Amino acid sequence: MSALSFELKRRPTQRLDLSPLVPSRLDGLNRKKIEALSVSTTRETITVGDVFKVKGKDAQCLHFAGTDDRCDKIGARLTGGEIVVDGDAGMLLGAQMKRGKITVHGSAGVSVGASMSGGEISVRRDVGDQVGGVAFGETFGMKGGFISIGGDAGLLVGERLRRGLIVVDGKAGDYAGGRMVAGTIVLRGGAGRYAGYGNRRGSLILADKPRHLMPTYVDSGVMEFDFLRLLETWLREQGMRIRLGGRARRLMGDMAVLGKGEMLILE
Amino acid sequence: MPEKKVKGVTIVETFAEAFPMVGTRVIITAPTAEWAMISARTMTGFATSVIACGAEGGVERALTKFETPDGRPGVAVLLFTMDVNMLQTQLRNRVGQCVLTSPGSACYAGLEGEKKLKLGASLRFFGDGWQMSKVIGGRRYWRIPVMGGEFVCEDKTGLTTKAVGGGNLLVVGKSHKAVLAACTRAVKAMADLPDVITPFPGGIVRSGSKVGSKYAGQIASTNHAYAPGLKWHADSELPSTTEAVLEIVIDGLTADAIHEAMHAGIHAIAKGGSRDGITHITAGNYGGNLGPHHFHLKEIAG
Repeated sequence: MSALSFELKRRPTQRLDLSPLVPSRLDGLNRKKIEALSVSTTRETITVGDVFKVKGKDAQCLHFAGTDDRCDKIGARLTGGEIVVDGDAGMLLGAQMKRGKITVHGSAGVSVGASMSGGEISVRRDVGDQVGGVAFGETFGMKGGFISIGGDAGLLVGERLRRGLIVVDGKAGDYAGGRMVAGTIVLRGGAGRYAGYGNRRGSLILADKPRHLMPTYVDSGVMEFDFLRLLETWLREQGMRIRLGGRARRLMGDMAVLGKGEMLILE
Repeated sequence: MPEKKVKGVTIVETFAEAFPMVGTRVIITAPTAEWAMISARTMTGFATSVIACGAEGGVERALTKFETPDGRPGVAVLLFTMDVNMLQTQLRNRVGQCVLTSPGSACYAGLEGEKKLKLGASLRFFGDGWQMSKVIGGRRYWRIPVMGGEFVCEDKTGLTTKAVGGGNLLVVGKSHKAVLAACTRAVKAMADLPDVITPFPGGIVRSGSKVGSKYAGQIASTNHAYAPGLKWHADSELPSTTEAVLEIVIDGLTADAIHEAMHAGIHAIAKGGSRDGITHITAGNYGGNLGPHHFHLKEIAG
């Protein structure tokens, strides 16, 4: 069975809420019913059929093509299956998802994987602010799963992160790991100012020492970390070309809060 | 009694009587293969028999850095007891005292298993609040700060209730030298097999026991029917030519694994034939009423 695909006909006149387009909602619906689903966010109703050319059958494997930054909430609350986006995604990509896999070949907007609790999101290019951050109405950010970003990330990577792993290949903006509670963030392309601001017990792993280091981080020196080897092995199993090595400088903080978090700067 | 011979060595028509046990596997890694083995040998050092050690354990095999979770050299260790509570206690104590303490070590689950045993889940308290948990690929690991750096230990490991303990071979021969050489060969042959260990020193028991004793409170005593110095006695099972009997005890995660190990053992013992001084291969049992697993030697010798 071929993947159920949605090809954007033209740039929509308003932001679209694509959260109904997940396998659990689409399973068993025929094309007519799918095309009748509303994806509008204003008083002017827009249905799937108005903006997308729908093809294919397999609702467990969704394919979006030609999407742009107005296509919000792709894969939000996803509970299984796979979504591939050939194009960009708007905000709240995969927000609150539990299981499944989302791959975006372009860029994505703010709050990618906000408060997600499981599954995997991979964005090949840049993402906006608060990746793995807090979804509306939630108290914590990402609570499990894995997000990998091929490009740069905006402000507050992993804001209020509770559990799970975020890897950013490019540059991260200011306040990376801001207010994180726990979990792991790997920043391969450097971080902006105030990295690890308000970090309670999370791990912020950096390829290079950030230019601006918060004074509330305390140096513990260089040592061996066997868990970095576990992490490296797992990331490689996911197809990522990465080397963490086993040695890192450990800075403990943020001492302004609990102070059990750490910034590991790879040697 | 119809006899079977392998290269002139008599395979006595009897069976090894074995018992259900609970077992687990952990993977120990270290900066070098040598230190991984030191840690594993220490953990399974005093683990020959549940009679007085609390557990039976041993090194299953050494692992290359390509086979371990953290890419360092490692060792797979098997541990067996009679019940789950004891296995939990023994695992905690042994990993806590022998692996946690060993320089550069880390400890991981080696068995998925139907049920779980706490590993790092209890050892983490050594961290006194400084321990950190990391979930990687759905598995939880504990990082415990120690003087040598950081001890990484997986949260849980699996257990199996289908393990079998007490598979055995008794090797009867004309000289101690011949019997020891044959048993050493057999232990080596079994060492290459998965899911089994031979828990006694170097895999060999020189003092097979029987249940009970003439002394009150002594739960096991010498298997006098197989002691060559007591051949004069009516209880003796030994031919007059016997100078020594040694035993190989095998514990395995499955009955099939023990079957395979006994097969490999019998053929390794009989390799040199009767000219090497081995006369009989037999096995220990309690009449067949105590243990549900019966490994018939003739069938195993195949």
